[in-house]
Amino acid sequence: MSERRHDLETQFDRILGEHGAAISRLAFGYETVASVREELVQEIALAIWQALAHFRGDCSERTFVYRIAHNRGISHVWKRRPPHQPLEEIEESDQPIDPRPHPEEQVAQTGQRVRLMSAIQSLPVAQRQMIVLMLEGLSYAQMAEVLGITENNVAVRLNRARKMLKDALGERA
Amino acid sequence: MIEDRELDAWREQWKSAAEPSAEFQRDFQRKVQQRVQRQDRRFMLGNILSVIAFLGLLIFAWYMRHQASWMGAGWSTSICVLVFVTAGIRIWVLRQMWRPETQSTRAFVELWYKRVEARVRLLRISTYLSIGWLIFCAALMAVNWPIIGQDFRAHPRGWIALLIVCVLMQPVMLWYGAGWLRRSKLAELNEVKKILDEMDGESVSS
Repeated sequence: MSERRHDLETQFDRILGEHGAAISRLAFGYETVASVREELVQEIALAIWQALAHFRGDCSERTFVYRIAHNRGISHVWKRRPPHQPLEEIEESDQPIDPRPHPEEQVAQTGQRVRLMSAIQSLPVAQRQMIVLMLEGLSYAQMAEVLGITENNVAVRLNRARKMLKDALGERA
Repeated sequence: MIEDRELDAWREQWKSAAEPSAEFQRDFQRKVQQRVQRQDRRFMLGNILSVIAFLGLLIFAWYMRHQASWMGAGWSTSICVLVFVTAGIRIWVLRQMWRPETQSTRAFVELWYKRVEARVRLLRISTYLSIGWLIFCAALMAVNWPIIGQDFRAHPRGWIALLIVCVLMQPVMLWYGAGWLRRSKLAELNEVKKILDEMDGESVSS
Protein backbone atom coordinates (compact mmCIF):
# COMPACT_ATOMS: atom_id res chain seq x y z
CA MET A 1 0.00 0.00 0.00
CA SER A 2 2.76 2.42 1.03
CA GLU A 3 4.82 1.35 -2.00
CA ARG A 4 1.86 2.15 -4.27
CA ARG A 5 1.49 5.51 -2.56
CA HIS A 6 5.19 6.20 -3.01
CA ASP A 7 4.92 5.38 -6.73
CA LEU A 8 1.97 7.73 -7.05
CA GLU A 9 3.83 10.50 -5.26
CA THR A 10 6.81 10.06 -7.58
CA GLN A 11 4.53 10.13 -10.63
CA PHE A 12 2.72 13.17 -9.25
CA ASP A 13 5.97 15.08 -8.68
CA ARG A 14 7.09 14.22 -12.20
CA ILE A 15 3.78 15.42 -13.68
CA LEU A 16 4.04 18.70 -11.77
CA GLY A 17 7.62 19.10 -12.96
CA GLU A 18 6.73 18.41 -16.60
CA HIS A 19 3.38 20.17 -16.84
CA GLY A 20 3.60 22.72 -14.00
CA ALA A 21 4.41 25.64 -16.29
CA ALA A 22 1.58 24.71 -18.71
CA ILE A 23 -0.89 24.43 -15.81
CA SER A 24 0.11 27.91 -14.61
CA ARG A 25 -0.44 29.29 -18.12
CA LEU A 26 -3.82 27.55 -18.41
CA ALA A 27 -4.84 29.13 -15.11
CA PHE A 28 -4.15 32.54 -16.70
CA GLY A 29 -7.06 31.83 -19.00
CA TYR A 30 -9.47 31.48 -16.09
CA GLU A 31 -8.30 33.89 -13.42
CA THR A 32 -7.00 37.44 -13.60
CA VAL A 33 -5.99 37.96 -9.95
CA ALA A 34 -2.50 36.61 -9.20
CA SER A 35 -3.16 35.35 -5.65
CA VAL A 36 -6.41 33.61 -6.63
CA ARG A 37 -4.69 32.19 -9.70
CA GLU A 38 -2.08 30.60 -7.48
CA GLU A 39 -4.90 29.06 -5.47
CA LEU A 40 -6.46 27.76 -8.69
CA VAL A 41 -3.17 26.17 -9.77
CA GLN A 42 -3.00 24.39 -6.41
CA GLU A 43 -6.59 23.19 -6.82
CA ILE A 44 -5.77 21.80 -10.25
CA ALA A 45 -2.73 20.00 -8.80
CA LEU A 46 -4.91 18.60 -6.04
CA ALA A 47 -7.49 17.37 -8.56
CA ILE A 48 -4.70 15.67 -10.54
CA TRP A 49 -3.51 13.95 -7.37
CA GLN A 50 -7.05 12.73 -6.60
CA ALA A 51 -7.51 11.35 -10.08
CA LEU A 52 -4.02 9.93 -10.50
CA ALA A 53 -4.69 6.66 -8.65
CA HIS A 54 -7.42 5.88 -11.21
CA PHE A 55 -5.47 6.90 -14.31
CA ARG A 56 -5.21 3.79 -16.50
CA GLY A 57 -3.54 5.34 -19.50
CA ASP A 58 -6.73 5.50 -21.60
CA CYS A 59 -5.40 8.79 -22.94
CA SER A 60 -1.99 10.45 -22.92
CA GLU A 61 -0.76 11.94 -19.67
CA ARG A 62 -0.83 15.39 -21.25
CA THR A 63 -4.48 14.99 -22.23
CA PHE A 64 -5.27 13.75 -18.73
CA VAL A 65 -3.64 16.82 -17.14
CA TYR A 66 -5.21 19.30 -19.59
CA ARG A 67 -8.68 17.82 -19.15
CA ILE A 68 -8.50 18.21 -15.40
CA ALA A 69 -7.04 21.72 -15.64
CA HIS A 70 -9.77 22.94 -18.02
CA ASN A 71 -12.61 21.29 -16.13
CA ARG A 72 -11.39 22.75 -12.86
CA GLY A 73 -11.02 26.11 -14.64
CA ILE A 74 -14.65 26.09 -15.81
CA SER A 75 -15.85 25.25 -12.29
CA HIS A 76 -13.66 28.06 -10.95
CA VAL A 77 -15.17 30.61 -13.35
CA TRP A 78 -18.64 29.50 -12.28
CA LYS A 79 -17.88 29.72 -8.56
CA ARG A 80 -16.19 33.12 -8.89
CA ARG A 81 -19.07 34.78 -10.72
CA PRO A 82 -20.96 37.44 -8.80
CA PRO A 83 -24.25 36.07 -7.38
CA HIS A 84 -27.11 35.89 -9.88
CA GLN A 85 -24.90 37.03 -12.77
CA PRO A 86 -25.18 34.82 -15.84
CA LEU A 87 -21.91 33.22 -16.92
CA GLU A 88 -21.96 34.73 -20.40
CA GLU A 89 -22.09 38.24 -18.97
CA ILE A 90 -18.94 37.61 -16.95
CA GLU A 91 -17.17 36.16 -19.94
CA GLU A 92 -18.05 38.96 -22.24
CA SER A 93 -17.29 41.73 -19.81
CA ASP A 94 -13.88 43.31 -20.10
CA GLN A 95 -12.44 42.36 -16.75
CA PRO A 96 -9.36 44.32 -15.71
CA ILE A 97 -6.43 41.94 -15.82
CA ASP A 98 -4.05 41.93 -12.90
CA PRO A 99 -0.72 41.95 -14.69
CA ARG A 100 1.29 41.44 -11.51
CA PRO A 101 2.87 38.03 -11.46
CA HIS A 102 3.40 36.16 -8.25
CA PRO A 103 6.73 37.48 -6.89
CA GLU A 104 8.34 34.10 -7.48
CA GLU A 105 6.75 33.39 -10.83
CA GLN A 106 9.43 35.31 -12.73
CA VAL A 107 7.11 36.05 -15.60
CA ALA A 108 8.55 38.14 -18.36
CA GLN A 109 5.80 40.71 -18.59
CA THR A 110 5.37 42.69 -21.74
CA GLY A 111 2.61 44.95 -22.84
CA GLN A 112 1.79 42.59 -25.69
CA ARG A 113 1.52 39.62 -23.41
CA VAL A 114 -0.87 41.43 -21.06
CA ARG A 115 -2.92 42.51 -24.07
CA LEU A 116 -3.09 38.92 -25.32
CA MET A 117 -4.06 37.60 -21.86
CA SER A 118 -6.72 40.29 -21.48
CA ALA A 119 -8.13 39.49 -24.93
CA ILE A 120 -8.23 35.74 -24.16
CA GLN A 121 -10.00 36.33 -20.87
CA SER A 122 -12.66 38.40 -22.60
CA LEU A 123 -13.70 35.40 -24.77
CA PRO A 124 -16.53 33.01 -23.83
CA VAL A 125 -15.33 29.88 -22.00
CA ALA A 126 -15.61 27.52 -24.99
CA GLN A 127 -13.60 29.84 -27.27
CA ARG A 128 -11.10 30.53 -24.51
CA GLN A 129 -10.39 26.82 -24.20
CA MET A 130 -9.81 26.44 -27.92
CA ILE A 131 -7.36 29.33 -27.98
CA VAL A 132 -5.44 28.19 -24.90
CA LEU A 133 -5.07 24.65 -26.27
CA MET A 134 -3.96 26.04 -29.63
CA LEU A 135 -1.37 28.27 -27.97
CA GLU A 136 -0.11 25.30 -25.97
CA GLY A 137 0.60 23.63 -29.31
CA LEU A 138 -1.86 20.73 -29.20
CA SER A 139 -2.78 19.04 -32.47
CA TYR A 140 -6.42 18.90 -33.64
CA ALA A 141 -6.60 15.27 -32.53
CA GLN A 142 -5.30 16.10 -29.05
CA MET A 143 -7.67 19.06 -28.74
CA ALA A 144 -10.56 16.83 -29.78
CA GLU A 145 -9.54 14.34 -27.09
CA VAL A 146 -9.36 16.99 -24.36
CA LEU A 147 -12.65 18.64 -25.31
CA GLY A 148 -14.62 15.54 -26.31
CA ILE A 149 -15.59 16.78 -29.77
CA THR A 150 -14.70 15.71 -33.32
CA GLU A 151 -11.64 17.00 -35.17
CA ASN A 152 -13.88 18.68 -37.75
CA ASN A 153 -15.67 20.44 -34.96
CA VAL A 154 -12.30 21.53 -33.55
CA ALA A 155 -11.30 23.03 -36.89
CA VAL A 156 -14.53 25.02 -37.25
CA ARG A 157 -14.57 26.23 -33.68
CA LEU A 158 -10.89 27.11 -33.70
CA ASN A 159 -11.40 29.23 -36.78
CA ARG A 160 -14.17 31.12 -35.09
CA ALA A 161 -12.20 31.46 -31.83
CA ARG A 162 -9.20 32.88 -33.70
CA LYS A 163 -11.40 35.44 -35.37
CA MET A 164 -12.88 36.45 -32.03
CA LEU A 165 -9.41 36.74 -30.51
CA LYS A 166 -8.25 38.91 -33.40
CA ASP A 167 -11.24 41.21 -32.91
CA ALA A 168 -10.60 41.38 -29.17
CA LEU A 169 -6.93 42.22 -29.77
CA GLY A 170 -7.95 44.84 -32.32
CA GLU A 171 -10.16 46.53 -29.73
CA ARG A 172 -7.19 46.64 -27.35
CA ALA A 173 -4.67 47.98 -29.85
CA MET B 1 1.48 32.13 -44.14
CA ILE B 2 0.43 35.36 -42.50
CA GLU B 3 -1.90 33.32 -40.29
CA ASP B 4 1.02 31.12 -39.23
CA ARG B 5 3.22 34.08 -38.37
CA GLU B 6 0.40 35.51 -36.36
CA LEU B 7 0.01 32.23 -34.50
CA ASP B 8 3.74 32.01 -33.87
CA ALA B 9 3.73 35.53 -32.42
CA TRP B 10 0.81 34.67 -30.13
CA ARG B 11 2.53 31.47 -29.01
CA GLU B 12 5.73 33.35 -28.29
CA GLN B 13 3.86 35.88 -26.16
CA TRP B 14 1.84 33.15 -24.46
CA LYS B 15 4.89 31.14 -23.52
CA SER B 16 7.01 34.14 -22.59
CA ALA B 17 6.58 33.27 -18.93
CA ALA B 18 9.93 32.08 -17.66
CA GLU B 19 10.17 28.68 -16.04
CA PRO B 20 9.50 28.94 -12.30
CA SER B 21 12.58 28.84 -10.12
CA ALA B 22 13.50 25.62 -8.33
CA GLU B 23 12.73 27.31 -5.01
CA PHE B 24 9.25 28.30 -6.21
CA GLN B 25 8.67 24.80 -7.56
CA ARG B 26 9.64 23.24 -4.20
CA ASP B 27 7.43 25.67 -2.29
CA PHE B 28 4.51 24.95 -4.62
CA GLN B 29 4.92 21.18 -4.27
CA ARG B 30 5.14 21.53 -0.49
CA LYS B 31 1.88 23.52 -0.42
CA VAL B 32 0.16 20.95 -2.61
CA GLN B 33 1.41 18.09 -0.42
CA GLN B 34 0.05 19.89 2.64
CA ARG B 35 -3.34 20.25 0.97
CA VAL B 36 -3.29 16.58 -0.02
CA GLN B 37 -2.59 15.56 3.58
CA ARG B 38 -5.29 17.91 4.91
CA GLN B 39 -7.77 16.50 2.45
CA ASP B 40 -6.87 12.88 3.29
CA ARG B 41 -7.41 13.62 6.98
CA ARG B 42 -10.72 15.38 6.29
CA PHE B 43 -11.91 12.47 4.14
CA MET B 44 -11.02 9.91 6.83
CA LEU B 45 -12.58 12.01 9.57
CA GLY B 46 -15.74 12.54 7.52
CA ASN B 47 -16.12 8.81 6.92
CA ILE B 48 -15.50 7.93 10.56
CA LEU B 49 -18.00 10.57 11.75
CA SER B 50 -20.63 9.37 9.27
CA VAL B 51 -20.27 5.76 10.41
CA ILE B 52 -20.35 6.84 14.08
CA ALA B 53 -23.46 8.96 13.47
CA PHE B 54 -25.15 6.14 11.53
CA LEU B 55 -24.38 3.49 14.19
CA GLY B 56 -25.05 5.90 17.06
CA LEU B 57 -28.51 6.73 15.75
CA LEU B 58 -29.32 3.05 15.21
CA ILE B 59 -28.18 2.21 18.77
CA PHE B 60 -30.23 5.15 20.06
CA ALA B 61 -33.26 3.91 18.12
CA TRP B 62 -32.77 0.40 19.54
CA TYR B 63 -32.46 1.88 23.05
CA MET B 64 -35.64 3.94 22.62
CA ARG B 65 -37.48 0.89 21.33
CA HIS B 66 -36.84 -0.88 24.63
CA GLN B 67 -37.91 2.05 26.77
CA ALA B 68 -41.11 1.80 28.74
CA SER B 69 -42.03 5.34 27.61
CA TRP B 70 -45.10 5.65 25.41
CA MET B 71 -43.06 7.62 22.88
CA GLY B 72 -40.36 4.95 22.62
CA ALA B 73 -41.76 3.04 19.65
CA GLY B 74 -42.54 6.24 17.73
CA TRP B 75 -39.09 7.70 18.27
CA SER B 76 -37.42 4.46 17.33
CA THR B 77 -39.38 4.06 14.09
CA SER B 78 -38.91 7.72 13.15
CA ILE B 79 -35.15 7.65 13.69
CA CYS B 80 -34.70 4.41 11.74
CA VAL B 81 -36.76 5.70 8.80
CA LEU B 82 -34.87 9.02 8.82
CA VAL B 83 -31.41 7.39 9.03
CA PHE B 84 -32.05 4.96 6.18
CA VAL B 85 -33.77 7.53 3.96
CA THR B 86 -30.86 9.98 4.51
CA ALA B 87 -28.23 7.31 3.81
CA GLY B 88 -30.14 6.13 0.72
CA ILE B 89 -30.47 9.64 -0.68
CA ARG B 90 -26.78 10.34 -0.05
CA ILE B 91 -25.68 7.20 -1.89
CA TRP B 92 -28.10 7.92 -4.73
CA VAL B 93 -26.76 11.47 -5.09
CA LEU B 94 -23.16 10.25 -5.11
CA ARG B 95 -23.69 7.58 -7.76
CA GLN B 96 -21.71 8.14 -10.95
CA MET B 97 -20.24 11.29 -9.48
CA TRP B 98 -16.73 9.94 -9.07
CA ARG B 99 -13.86 11.70 -10.77
CA PRO B 100 -15.85 13.61 -13.39
CA GLU B 101 -12.91 15.96 -13.97
CA THR B 102 -10.87 13.30 -15.75
CA GLN B 103 -13.48 13.19 -18.51
CA SER B 104 -13.33 15.34 -21.60
CA THR B 105 -14.67 18.86 -21.13
CA ARG B 106 -17.86 17.97 -22.95
CA ALA B 107 -18.46 14.89 -20.79
CA PHE B 108 -17.63 16.93 -17.69
CA VAL B 109 -20.18 19.62 -18.55
CA GLU B 110 -22.77 16.92 -19.37
CA LEU B 111 -22.13 15.33 -15.97
CA TRP B 112 -22.37 18.74 -14.35
CA TYR B 113 -25.75 19.21 -16.04
CA LYS B 114 -26.94 15.79 -14.82
CA ARG B 115 -25.69 16.53 -11.33
CA VAL B 116 -27.60 19.85 -11.10
CA GLU B 117 -30.64 18.16 -12.60
CA ALA B 118 -30.37 15.46 -9.90
CA ARG B 119 -30.15 18.15 -7.21
CA VAL B 120 -33.30 19.83 -8.51
CA ARG B 121 -35.02 16.44 -8.54
CA LEU B 122 -33.76 15.72 -5.05
CA LEU B 123 -35.17 19.02 -3.80
CA ARG B 124 -38.55 18.14 -5.25
CA ILE B 125 -38.43 14.68 -3.69
CA SER B 126 -37.33 16.19 -0.35
CA THR B 127 -40.36 18.46 -0.39
CA TYR B 128 -42.68 15.50 -0.98
CA LEU B 129 -40.80 13.47 1.65
CA SER B 130 -41.14 16.17 4.29
CA ILE B 131 -44.87 16.45 3.57
CA GLY B 132 -45.07 12.65 3.81
CA TRP B 133 -43.11 12.82 7.04
CA LEU B 134 -45.65 15.22 8.53
CA ILE B 135 -48.51 12.95 7.46
CA PHE B 136 -46.68 9.95 8.92
CA CYS B 137 -46.17 11.79 12.25
CA ALA B 138 -49.82 12.87 12.30
CA ALA B 139 -50.95 9.27 11.62
CA LEU B 140 -48.64 7.98 14.36
CA MET B 141 -50.06 10.56 16.72
CA ALA B 142 -53.64 9.59 15.81
CA VAL B 143 -52.92 5.89 16.43
CA ASN B 144 -51.38 6.67 19.80
CA TRP B 145 -53.91 9.35 20.69
CA PRO B 146 -55.32 7.53 23.76
CA ILE B 147 -51.87 7.78 25.38
CA ILE B 148 -50.81 11.12 23.89
CA GLY B 149 -54.18 12.61 24.75
CA GLN B 150 -53.52 12.08 28.44
CA ASP B 151 -50.23 13.92 28.18
CA PHE B 152 -51.87 16.63 26.05
CA ARG B 153 -54.50 17.23 28.71
CA ALA B 154 -51.84 17.26 31.42
CA HIS B 155 -49.51 19.76 29.57
CA PRO B 156 -51.69 21.60 27.02
CA ARG B 157 -49.46 24.72 26.74
CA GLY B 158 -46.34 22.75 25.88
CA TRP B 159 -48.15 20.74 23.22
CA ILE B 160 -49.79 23.77 21.64
CA ALA B 161 -46.43 25.59 21.54
CA LEU B 162 -44.85 22.54 19.88
CA LEU B 163 -47.62 22.35 17.27
CA ILE B 164 -47.35 26.06 16.49
CA VAL B 165 -43.58 25.75 16.00
CA CYS B 166 -44.11 22.75 13.71
CA VAL B 167 -46.72 24.55 11.62
CA LEU B 168 -44.60 27.73 11.37
CA MET B 169 -41.44 25.81 10.48
CA GLN B 170 -43.15 24.15 7.53
CA PRO B 171 -43.56 27.25 5.34
CA VAL B 172 -40.19 28.67 6.37
CA MET B 173 -38.22 25.51 5.69
CA LEU B 174 -40.16 24.17 2.75
CA TRP B 175 -41.54 27.06 0.81
CA TYR B 176 -38.88 29.70 1.38
CA GLY B 177 -35.71 27.65 1.98
CA ALA B 178 -36.29 24.92 -0.57
CA GLY B 179 -37.85 27.42 -2.99
CA TRP B 180 -34.78 29.67 -2.89
CA LEU B 181 -32.43 26.71 -3.32
CA ARG B 182 -34.50 25.41 -6.23
CA ARG B 183 -34.42 28.78 -8.00
CA SER B 184 -30.64 29.01 -7.65
CA LYS B 185 -30.21 25.44 -8.97
CA LEU B 186 -32.51 26.16 -11.91
CA ALA B 187 -30.40 29.22 -12.75
CA GLU B 188 -27.27 27.03 -12.66
CA LEU B 189 -29.00 24.47 -14.86
CA ASN B 190 -29.77 27.19 -17.36
CA GLU B 191 -26.15 28.37 -17.44
CA VAL B 192 -24.74 24.87 -17.87
CA LYS B 193 -27.22 24.29 -20.68
CA LYS B 194 -25.85 27.38 -22.43
CA ILE B 195 -22.29 26.04 -22.21
CA LEU B 196 -23.48 22.72 -23.60
CA ASP B 197 -25.32 24.43 -26.43
CA GLU B 198 -22.17 26.35 -27.24
CA MET B 199 -20.26 23.08 -27.46
CA ASP B 200 -22.94 21.44 -29.57
CA GLY B 201 -23.06 21.29 -33.32
CA GLU B 202 -25.54 24.10 -33.54
CA SER B 203 -22.80 26.58 -32.64
CA VAL B 204 -20.64 25.08 -35.37
CA SER B 205 -23.27 25.10 -38.05
CA SER B 206 -24.39 28.67 -37.36
